[in-house]
Amino acid sequence: MTKSEPVRSLLFQSLSSRPNTLFSRPICHSCCRKLAGRSALYARGGGISFPTRTLQTQALLEEVVPFRKQLKDEAKRKRAALSGNGAKKKSTDKELISNWELTVGIELHAELNTAKKLFSSAATSISDEPNSHVALFDAAFPGSQPHFQKETLLPALRAAIALNCKIQRRSTFDRKHYFYQDQPAGYQITQYYEPFAKDGHITLYTHDGIDPADAPSITIPIKQIQMEQDTAKTLYQPPSTYLLDFNRVSHPLIEIISMPAIHHPATAAAYVRKIQSILKSVDAATAGMEVGGLRADVNVSIRRRKDQHGEDERAGHSYSGFKGLGQRTEIKNLSSLRAVSDAIAIERSRQIAVLESGGTIEGETRGFTLGSSETRKLRSKEGEIDYRYMPDPDIAPVVIGEDLVQHLRDTLPALPDDVMDSLVKDGVSMKDAKTLLSLEDGDRLDYYYDVVHELTIIFEIDGKKPPKKMGRIVANWVIHELGALLTTTESNFTPDLVPASSLALILEPLLHKQITNDIARFLFSRNLHWAHSREPIPSVPEIIDAEGLRLQSLSEAVYEQIAKPLLDENPKMVKAIKEKGQTGKIMWFVGQMMRGSDEGKQGKLEAKRAEEVVRRLIGVEGGKER
Amino acid sequence: MSLLREAQRCIANQAARKQFNAFIAAANPDNLLYHSGPLNGHLIAIKDNICTKDLPTTAASGILRSFTSPYDATVVLKLQSAGAVIAGKTNLDEFGMGSHSTYSYFGPVSQNVDGKALSAGGSSGGSAIAVAGRECWAALGTDTGGSVRLPAAYTGIVGFKPSYGLISRWGVIAYANSLDTVGILSRDVRVARDIFDVLSEHDRQDPTSIPVSIRKGSAKSHRKDRHLRIGIPSEYNVLELSPAVRKSWLSIISALREHYKATVSFQSVSLPTTRLALPAYYVLAPAEASSNLAKYDGVRYGSRAADAASDAPDRSPLFARTRGEGFGNEVKRRILLGTYSLSAAAIDNYFIQAQRARRLVQRDFDRVFRASNPLLSEEPIGHETADHVVADDGKVDVLLHPTAPTLPPTLDTVRGQTALETYTNDVFTVPASLAGLPAISVPVASVDEQSIETKCGMQVVGQFGNDETVLDVAEMIENLTGREAT
Repeated sequence: MTKSEPVRSLLFQSLSSRPNTLFSRPICHSCCRKLAGRSALYARGGGISFPTRTLQTQALLEEVVPFRKQLKDEAKRKRAALSGNGAKKKSTDKELISNWELTVGIELHAELNTAKKLFSSAATSISDEPNSHVALFDAAFPGSQPHFQKETLLPALRAAIALNCKIQRRSTFDRKHYFYQDQPAGYQITQYYEPFAKDGHITLYTHDGIDPADAPSITIPIKQIQMEQDTAKTLYQPPSTYLLDFNRVSHPLIEIISMPAIHHPATAAAYVRKIQSILKSVDAATAGMEVGGLRADVNVSIRRRKDQHGEDERAGHSYSGFKGLGQRTEIKNLSSLRAVSDAIAIERSRQIAVLESGGTIEGETRGFTLGSSETRKLRSKEGEIDYRYMPDPDIAPVVIGEDLVQHLRDTLPALPDDVMDSLVKDGVSMKDAKTLLSLEDGDRLDYYYDVVHELTIIFEIDGKKPPKKMGRIVANWVIHELGALLTTTESNFTPDLVPASSLALILEPLLHKQITNDIARFLFSRNLHWAHSREPIPSVPEIIDAEGLRLQSLSEAVYEQIAKPLLDENPKMVKAIKEKGQTGKIMWFVGQMMRGSDEGKQGKLEAKRAEEVVRRLIGVEGGKER
Repeated sequence: MSLLREAQRCIANQAARKQFNAFIAAANPDNLLYHSGPLNGHLIAIKDNICTKDLPTTAASGILRSFTSPYDATVVLKLQSAGAVIAGKTNLDEFGMGSHSTYSYFGPVSQNVDGKALSAGGSSGGSAIAVAGRECWAALGTDTGGSVRLPAAYTGIVGFKPSYGLISRWGVIAYANSLDTVGILSRDVRVARDIFDVLSEHDRQDPTSIPVSIRKGSAKSHRKDRHLRIGIPSEYNVLELSPAVRKSWLSIISALREHYKATVSFQSVSLPTTRLALPAYYVLAPAEASSNLAKYDGVRYGSRAADAASDAPDRSPLFARTRGEGFGNEVKRRILLGTYSLSAAAIDNYFIQAQRARRLVQRDFDRVFRASNPLLSEEPIGHETADHVVADDGKVDVLLHPTAPTLPPTLDTVRGQTALETYTNDVFTVPASLAGLPAISVPVASVDEQSIETKCGMQVVGQFGNDETVLDVAEMIENLTGREAT
């Protein structure tokens, strides 16, 4: 847990070059996730299920869509869009759907990354022993009073700033009343009348996975963000036992409320995914959807597209100032990206079917379980709870100074979009940049920055300029070469497996063409081996020198000596190259040179020069620069 | 009298006066040891809505009938460390909701005067009866709309409600937290002052505890030697005021005028929004109560209906039946009132309007007091600046008026009253509660309808933070009417 700390702070240094004492929290996200994951497995094994909840509900512990899968899906969608024949069997649906415009608003609940609860000094926890962190007020003991922990404002403010909100100088806390066994006071303390942040927005791009119809980008306005308390965890043990764990009671949450401005299920999922990654990158949220750290409620309505039917829109509904919308329904408590997009698509189909058959949509609350083919009604509008919002008489208004907001703005860690931009500028491909951002909750990205940082220092000491596209090479090694090695050795990534400084010492001679790729790979795997074996690790330059691995430019004659016998032994292929222009066969000869000769085996040959020699000897000049 | 002798007499009185039902739980004789301090060895009774670890805390409710708090209220800890001994837990109207201490799960409190069973006042009736009957040296009560002052007036003792936020509420079971104030019942003002001095301190556990800076400011403004101007609010001279009470009011005014010719003057003042105070209070207090009492669901503590789960096997298996059985009728009435006035359809017409009325009541007070309200910023109050130009010499230091419109009614009368009639008992105490002002009820001599000598409560109300001035004036009145021997 502590090992990732220095790496993270290095990342901050390299990105912001400002002190950032406010961010350094002794919580490692990946550790939290691992712990939580373990408890989830245990809970399942123990035969305990999680009942669906009406409000702030229990996470359903579904798998989040892996990043690789997301990339594949994107590619598939692109291909489908190009060929124009995607999903033929649903063409009738598509026709219907195209007659209707979908409108979605999303309320996201995210657990804040704080040491203490919102209204008591009890510690926050994810998988500690049940009911081990419960203050008197958390259990709503008679006579106890709330103690607002003002430090909890910091991650909330970072989130609000990152989501471009206006921070309100004065905000207040209100009680939202409803009875449920996981709500000990009979009310949840939230910010209904005066939330702490308003009027934000985020912009989603094609690479965020938005629907092609929203390409290249769409900006989603955020109405407000409010702070509130989480509830207890209910563990239902059939047939009639409910176990309550109050550790989660009063864990600080923020609720992020979007305007109803999303029109496609894929864009809705992209919105949630992007907010999740922003919350992580500014150290605001403890965990993602996969462990219940983020839960979504979606409002869904449809209206007939006016350009086709020219319908009068005056009769429509208005939400948050967005006029002319259809009657909306709310789907509560979605706990994965898949659930968000599936539930919206399925609810859209249901509403279309109802309206196309002459029915009307009722304003109601509905539920959805991943894998199910329909949303189900939870309660109608008449059955809606009247929350009787009342200002909490025990909690003074929160006044946030502009100086604090400015300080947090100045020291905010870089956002994913900015990181992506700077990676691409350094020569990293878009695809590799996205991979770096997604792997190990950003730990791999930190490692990348560490290697770049080390290399820059080496070049500075040597008085040399770092090569222009250094980022591309480093990313390639940090993602692909390291990835391959992790697979063959069946190990998990940690930043000290091959220390960043060692990789930098391998890449420095590679970048200067002093060693070949093969030798770099060899050194890399040796380092990994040492990391496992705990033998004393010799320094990289020592090995290079000791084993004579440094690339000595072999003379043209040596290359010819290797190439000529090969050409002589294979006259048919030479002929094919010469007369039929089968230039691809040139590379066969190059391969033979690299693998078949002693020099090649020792990694002393450069493929590019070998190709040049073969071409010259055969008389096919002008090999493309690779 | 030695401390031991005093304690023995108190405990003997407790045993002899059991029929008045002042105590829900008696002191544990093993715990009568004390630390030395300013309240050395004195027995102080605690209203049973204030949490104690050693004795159960029931709030006189069925839902907490066997509840013992895992912690002590700040006021209890402070009393003990100042040397006081907890004399037991006193009876009250359930959760403090009532004016006669008859709405208790443990039976009504009463007093016997000349063979008649009279109301002890409420909701701190148990504390008042215990003090009046010398079952303890003094007692703590809570005052939300008059719950310390009214029983003090009805039982002929001193009842002091300090400024809101001066005494910690940590460990005090909330009825309406924006109004709830811990108060002191005693047989003379000096004792009330001694206990107040022990309890009035900032407490970090209570988020509404007044910070040290404001306390210091108020203390500075208190000067004993100054010429005192007492205001007589004309709106309090209502038709419903009983002749006996009106007479006592007039006599104490003339007695003060005569005795303190050189240093005291009187001024008639107007508090026009007084008539809004009672309806505003009976919207706001139940609204907060409906919220505060939502926590009693039988899940974590308190009683749970035996067949709680039989009702609704689907969602909330415990609540409806548990709450239906656990709460008394008056509490249910106020929960329903409050739930209604906070509902989406009614909040604008009731809760919001009542908050506005509350602000108007507070401004009325700020307009008549010479001292400014330390809780407000310096800027003048909106459109009312014109009224504000009342010359300083029209302003007063304290107000003096009766605590209740009548002498204590008989319990028979009380039983015949509707809820609404009962609520009018609080008409003179509620305004100071809405504004959070210090107010004390002091007994003065009176003569009832049968020409029998009795006591009547007079109330002194001061600007926020002027608790010392209020106590000073109460002491002046006490000196005129003959101080009780302690």
